[in-house]
Amino acid sequence: MTEPHFTVTESGLMTPEGMYIPGEPPKGIRRIPKGVDRLGTEHLIVNMGPQHPSTHGVLHLIVELDGEEVVTVEVSIGFLHRGIEKLAESRRFDHLGTLMDRGDYVSVIHGEQAVALAVEKLMEIEVPAKAAWIRTLTAELTRLASHLVWFGTFGLDTGAMGQFLYAMRDREVLLDILEEISGQRMMFNYVRPGGVVADLPTGIESRILSFCDTFEVYLEEHDALLGGNEIFQARVKGIGVVSKETALAFGLTGANLRASGLGFDVRRDRPYDAYPELEFDIPIGTIGDSWDRYTVRMEEMRQSLRMIRQLVGGMPGGPFTAKVPKVLRPPAGEVYASVESSRGETGIHLFTDGGTTPYRMHYRAASLFTCQLFEEILPGHLFADACMLLGSFDIMLGEVDR
Amino acid sequence: MWGKGILNGMRITMRNMLRGPITVRYPYERVTLPERARWAVEVVRDESGAHKCTACMTCVRACPDHILDLQFTTAEDKSKHIDYLRYEMGACMMCGLCVEACPFDALKMGQDYELAKLTRDELTVDLLVDVAAAAPARAKKASEVPAGGTDDSRGGGTDG
Amino acid sequence: MSPELASLLRILAAVGLMLMNGVILIYMLRRVLGRLHQRLGPVHVGPQGLLQTPMDVLKLLTKEDITPTNVDKALYFIAPAAVFTPSLMAYAAIPFSPTWMVTDLDTGLLYTLVVMSLVSMGLLMAGWASANKWSLIGGMRSVGQHIAYEIPLLLSVLPVVMYVGTLNLSSIVEAQSGTWLGILPQWFITNPLFWPAFIIFIVSALIKVNQTPFDMSEAESELVAGFATEYSSMKFGLFFLSEFSNSFIVSALAVTLFFGGWTLPFVPDEVLAPIAPVVFMLKVYVGIFVLMWIRGTLPRVRMDHLMQFAWKILIPAVLTWILVFGFIIKLFDLGRPVG
Ligand code: SF4
Ligand code: SF4
Repeated sequence: MTEPHFTVTESGLMTPEGMYIPGEPPKGIRRIPKGVDRLGTEHLIVNMGPQHPSTHGVLHLIVELDGEEVVTVEVSIGFLHRGIEKLAESRRFDHLGTLMDRGDYVSVIHGEQAVALAVEKLMEIEVPAKAAWIRTLTAELTRLASHLVWFGTFGLDTGAMGQFLYAMRDREVLLDILEEISGQRMMFNYVRPGGVVADLPTGIESRILSFCDTFEVYLEEHDALLGGNEIFQARVKGIGVVSKETALAFGLTGANLRASGLGFDVRRDRPYDAYPELEFDIPIGTIGDSWDRYTVRMEEMRQSLRMIRQLVGGMPGGPFTAKVPKVLRPPAGEVYASVESSRGETGIHLFTDGGTTPYRMHYRAASLFTCQLFEEILPGHLFADACMLLGSFDIMLGEVDR
Repeated sequence: MWGKGILNGMRITMRNMLRGPITVRYPYERVTLPERARWAVEVVRDESGAHKCTACMTCVRACPDHILDLQFTTAEDKSKHIDYLRYEMGACMMCGLCVEACPFDALKMGQDYELAKLTRDELTVDLLVDVAAAAPARAKKASEVPAGGTDDSRGGGTDG
Repeated sequence: MSPELASLLRILAAVGLMLMNGVILIYMLRRVLGRLHQRLGPVHVGPQGLLQTPMDVLKLLTKEDITPTNVDKALYFIAPAAVFTPSLMAYAAIPFSPTWMVTDLDTGLLYTLVVMSLVSMGLLMAGWASANKWSLIGGMRSVGQHIAYEIPLLLSVLPVVMYVGTLNLSSIVEAQSGTWLGILPQWFITNPLFWPAFIIFIVSALIKVNQTPFDMSEAESELVAGFATEYSSMKFGLFFLSEFSNSFIVSALAVTLFFGGWTLPFVPDEVLAPIAPVVFMLKVYVGIFVLMWIRGTLPRVRMDHLMQFAWKILIPAVLTWILVFGFIIKLFDLGRPVG
């Protein structure tokens, strides 16, 4: 995108052609003008965030409003920057998971899994079947937990309070299960290159299955409570349409891409761990509006449940980790490994120089790409819809800012 | 018909209301932690209260956030004396990597989750102060018995 | 007792009732929402958490009263009062029993609705004076929705007025005493002729109370706290109180107009007379429970949908219904004018 040179003055925006009166803002605006529209009313510039109830973390949007309508949006990120990529350069390979936990802190296992897959690829470690299945199981449980957060906050963004608490109720059970497996509720640090830290605890299978049984009922209830509500449908249907072309151009992945009608899913198209052996469908939307994103994610939860049942039923025996040295020294090289996290493709690009720490690590965060889309999608919508749209895309600022 | 979903939603919230609250009234009721729950790092002590740390520094090097600090002096007979093993609880992320790394099973992840302290200073805990380090030979014998637990069942090799 | 003293006492009683109501309703809201969400709600302070709200009131009273720098001082200070006073005034015409009311106005219904509509002015004042963009949007929204729904609200009660031929609230209640054929209570809600009016009344009244699904003016996920963003301490408390007292008024109006006020079927007048206020209050609280139930369930309507709904659907519908209703009443001579 070429950047026109604008100077912001007190009263408006100077462009090379003279004073610019907003109306149709040119592409590539970096500072939003204090504009006056054709009716002679003044535009309102509001700073939405970094402390705002519906920006899901510390996203800062500079929104220019014409009445209730959004004219331009500027996304400003970086409030949660912790330098994960730089820190990774001083972490041993089996310790990278602790950093990735803090990247996307709601869908945690996926980050760990991506790192583990990358290191395994480099070192050509064969992961035992059981380890792969346990990883997949925890990944799907985490996906459910993460989608429940999305579901709850999406409801909250549209103003409904109930489903948030119901979603948290179900997530609580999931986190209890994951705590029993890994030892912590959020920062699991469970998946390592070569396998997982520990075997599944005894008796966890029945717990997971009984959760599946209750949650199946609750999930339909959730769907009826929010998705069945006509007010909600009126608010999301046809709002925030992301066409296939836009989705591709902005590099969307995950449910946001699938809602636009493109069926790319890392789990199926670049299979890893136990996914090739599982039976699951990939829901695809039609036009890519918020309703599609809603239905796709709800269907994904059902598919996750289906996968969890298969994973618990078919859990193979054997060791839960490959024989790996305590200190990993991958050969010098470059590798990219990606997983399907709850928000899209989470990828890890590692450069190694033969030492015990990465030379450089790049973390491909799906939410970052979604964030860029806001400047394109939000203008033209009502302000209330803008808040709802932020919820429908399910961004995670920990991942955006790293 | 328009409005059916709304009424259905009302029915669902009412059904949930009749299910009754699920709150655990925390200070009065407590949940039991699973066996693997990881909270603050503690030193393993046997019945006599003796620790097993040999001052080998593995945990200090393993900790990604440099939380542990161990200072020891070596006597003429090569026996080690631990001046202190210091632990910054406020900065620890409770990842358990130090526990996994310790070759002598001298550390464990505690299960006490009420870690709030009144002052910042109290967050710095001296796990061991001014004690003689355990002899590696004795400790090694103990660690050769397979722990069977969750901590260090990963492949061989020691910290390089 | 001199009449002046009597009216003064009545007014004081109304103030007391409003404050009490506020405290009880806040407690009730917390408990009801808590239960709806499978939580407990307040349980710590006092038995069953009963003292939680009084403590919160104390907290609000003792908190620092912050006045932001750029506010329009005069309006900023008047706004809470401008919101609170109408809510208080609306209590004047509500009949709690045949004898318990602040004043028996002949135009009681009109008075209550008119006074309630003043609230939105205070909200706009607050939004404008706060020098905060969120507040401004909140204030504008509130005025928009209140103006739009004023009309269907007023029109939706017309069938009742046409039926009984009076605007006096106690007469409306009296017209609902007795039973239909000895089975159903003769409340207007049991008469299908009044159902359309009732539905329109409920929808417009929900807007009056500023609650989900119509809490546009303080939509917390969009506008932070809407018009109340810059208010702290007891100024905020006044907004809060007025909101709860509005839900009381709305529920009381619904009970008076459609659910027979203090009347109970099959109960002779002598028995009813002493317990009439209790019956009335119980009915009102059931109504408020339903409001809270709705609040705990539904998502928020979008502003433009709301306006379109008002102007394109609700107002034509209610006008048509009044016409039809008038014809029916006249043709079959159904009206039962009182007094
Ligand atoms: S638990 Fe993790 S952060 Fe804490 S001391 Fe051990 S290695 Fe360091
Ligand atoms: S024995 Fe364990 S606790 Fe002691 S220094 Fe070595 S690794 Fe640390």
